[in-house]
Amino acid sequence: MSPKQNPGKDNFTRNLVIAVVLGVTLIMLVPTLISKQTNTSAQIPSSVSAERGYGIVFNGELKGVPVIDIYEDFLCGYCADFEAAQGQYIEELITDKRATVVYHPLSFVSPTESRAAANAGACAADEGKFLNYHKVLYANTLRANLEDWTNAALVSAGQSAGISSQKFTNCVTNGKYSDWVSNVSADGANNDVNQTPTVFINGKELARGKVYLDRGLFKAAVEKG
Amino acid sequence: MNKSHLEKLAPWFGLVARLTLGGVLIMAGYLKFDELDKSQMAVRAYEMLPVSLANFIGLVLPFAELFMGLLLILGAATRFMGILSALLMLVFVIGISQAWARGLSIDCGCFGGGGQVEPGEANYLTPLLRDAGLAALGIYLFLYPRSKFALDKSPSKAENN
Repeated sequence: MSPKQNPGKDNFTRNLVIAVVLGVTLIMLVPTLISKQTNTSAQIPSSVSAERGYGIVFNGELKGVPVIDIYEDFLCGYCADFEAAQGQYIEELITDKRATVVYHPLSFVSPTESRAAANAGACAADEGKFLNYHKVLYANTLRANLEDWTNAALVSAGQSAGISSQKFTNCVTNGKYSDWVSNVSADGANNDVNQTPTVFINGKELARGKVYLDRGLFKAAVEKG
Repeated sequence: MNKSHLEKLAPWFGLVARLTLGGVLIMAGYLKFDELDKSQMAVRAYEMLPVSLANFIGLVLPFAELFMGLLLILGAATRFMGILSALLMLVFVIGISQAWARGLSIDCGCFGGGGQVEPGEANYLTPLLRDAGLAALGIYLFLYPRSKFALDKSPSKAENN
């Protein structure tokens, strides 16, 4: 009962163990917390605007047109459905300069593979082929195998999208914009994006529902602004 | 006689409580700690906290779970970890109950995943019952921290060997 009956040594071991476990936890936690901060020194593609949540921007210079922010994940099946339903319309809006469109590729589905795909998307943006590449990747999303999303596959998807430069290959393989993907994720988290795809029209979240997959409803929502 | 019988069994029950509670915590932390975007999203989806606070908790929680789980398994600071995990489970119970009561359609995100699900697919009862049970184990360990194979030295003079 008295402290003497319990040798101090036991307590020492226990306290040491607690200290070690605490130390290991902190060693894991602190770099994580730091990595979740927006990294202002991350390399970003030229079409990306930090002011627009690190998204890939089309028609950023236009005034008086709807601004469409799309938070998506190349690996997400619902995003592929969204692309199939609305992709062509959105592309028309971009080419006809009738809207500002900002793509935010997140890494929700898988921290590794989604990040690699988002990085590759940014590499394609540098080649001026983001929209093509976007289409090709979503056409591929139906193959549900996570292991298939290798850098090699991402490079060959580039060829299908008409990108063949060595620069693109290096950019994909080296994960040049990997840190940038974290910045996009941090922005998505700050904007309470809880699902992909999530669309904001003029800063207002498009409520979940049929509108995401129905072309007429989506068009109406964009035109209403 | 009956009492001494119970006294003999209590440390074994303490061991089971430690391993169960600790094991579940480690599992929960392990399945989340490398998918922190999802962990943050899972906390946000409860719509209880300001977004920035929810994001912070989404980052820290998996590590806290791992820490508490490890110490429980080792039997270090059992009493404190017992009440701490009971409080954590209580917070989970409150979070899940309010989501249920408000008719949110979310996955509890207890073991990774989380976020919104299709209406009608949310299952709140299972996690509620599980967390309530785990809270009971935590409270037990707070009240009777003595258990077999623990690093904590026994507070009782009737030393178990």
